Amino acid sequence: MFQFNPYSPAVDADPFPFYKRLRDDYPAFWSTEANMWVLSRHADILTALNDWETYSSASGNLMDEFPGRAGATLGTTDPPRHDRLRALIQKAVTKRALDHIVEPTRAVTNAHLDAIAGEESFDFVTDVSSKITVDLMVYLFNLPKDGQDIMRDKAVLMVQSDPTTRSKGPEHMAAYKWMTEYAANLIAERKKAPGEDLMSQFITAEIDGEKLDDREVQMTVTTLIMAGIESLSGFLTMFALNLADHPEARRQLVANPELIPDAMEESLRFNTSAQRFKRCLKKDVELHGETLKAGDFVCLAYGAGNRDERRFEDPDIYNIARKPRGHLGFGGGVHACLGTAIARLATKIIFEEFLKRVPEYSRVQEQLPWMPSTTFRSPTRLDLRIG
Amino acid sequence: MSKVTYVEHDGTATEIDLQDGWTLMQGATMNGIDGIEGECGGSCSCATCHCYVEEDKLDLLPPMGEIEDEMLECVVSERRPNSRLSCQIKMSPALDGIVVELPEAQS
Repeated sequence: MFQFNPYSPAVDADPFPFYKRLRDDYPAFWSTEANMWVLSRHADILTALNDWETYSSASGNLMDEFPGRAGATLGTTDPPRHDRLRALIQKAVTKRALDHIVEPTRAVTNAHLDAIAGEESFDFVTDVSSKITVDLMVYLFNLPKDGQDIMRDKAVLMVQSDPTTRSKGPEHMAAYKWMTEYAANLIAERKKAPGEDLMSQFITAEIDGEKLDDREVQMTVTTLIMAGIESLSGFLTMFALNLADHPEARRQLVANPELIPDAMEESLRFNTSAQRFKRCLKKDVELHGETLKAGDFVCLAYGAGNRDERRFEDPDIYNIARKPRGHLGFGGGVHACLGTAIARLATKIIFEEFLKRVPEYSRVQEQLPWMPSTTFRSPTRLDLRIG
Repeated sequence: MSKVTYVEHDGTATEIDLQDGWTLMQGATMNGIDGIEGECGGSCSCATCHCYVEEDKLDLLPPMGEIEDEMLECVVSERRPNSRLSCQIKMSPALDGIVVELPEAQS
């Protein structure tokens, strides 16, 4: 009997064989462990993303949702309110508003690369991706310098789940509580003296007399710190891993850094860091011979859709010339990742610098430790040997 | 399914079949039309799916909302009387054969 248990460490480590069975044999699959349906084909996921009236986000979008979060963030609000709130925030994070992050990102990248210069090997997670993303968040939100390590630890814990109880454990809930309090304190401080940073923009932004209320700002900041730190650093790590496993691709990028954006898109397809999000059905849906009932939760397995041979030729081959239009690495539809432009720009700059300074590297570990998470996927440590 | 043709700034025209109910922005981004970006995913909040709609189809479109009107004030290329955001135009049989021109730049 086929099972798909997104809490299983086997799925954390290698979800792709499970995804293939899902796509081929169970395209609308009820997972008893997750207590929800799983959609795995690209076309079905895309249809769901484009039909928010049927596939609602208002009951939560994380596979394991936190109490009190649904309805208070962009990702857990449906249109039309969603669209009004997103308009408040979007203008601060569109491509043309981000020139100011280029030089700070380059500078923090080089500072952390200086620290590993001369080493034979290093852990990409601890030494590079975590440090750079934390610095970037500190810059974007103008966060205090103190307590950054705790903030990073809590962000990483927040996205995890306990594989045995199949839910958030006490340490994950405590991390969430810590982050919401951290956000609340920051917001209180920032309200007294708003600046130019993203958080100040959220607090002061207003359209048609509508502002984000205090809890929305708090939950939005909590979510953005979590996503910013964990999903960006997770993706940077996956990109570095792909380039370790595909040295020919890496050498092409070293020789011609203009190819970095294409390679990044292929990594977003091949190993998206956001593997799964969920929706809740507002009405019954007939799909592949199954009846999905109103009120049922549905997992949209982006990582499976990105390997769907019905959409991408030879999907298990990493091909930086592919230009995978329509990949689900940032989700899609009205809830497509808010940080898309930041993530693309930061990743490009970080890898321009990284590959300049570390053009040749290889993996030390054969087996990687994977984060226990139903939503995100990345290794918790990636040891790389230089040269 | 209805047909839409995107004419890029360099004159390249691409015709695609688009499912009714899907937006012209979705049709463009799913089919590799570079002249549409759609950064915000279709929530009418980024003004990077700007297009110029052929005049005789303008009246068939849903009326422009207040937010779309505000967003069009932020487009990078010239705003014209036939400017719309393609994420706000859903395909329907009435629009079959619609032609939209894409501006020089979106961001």
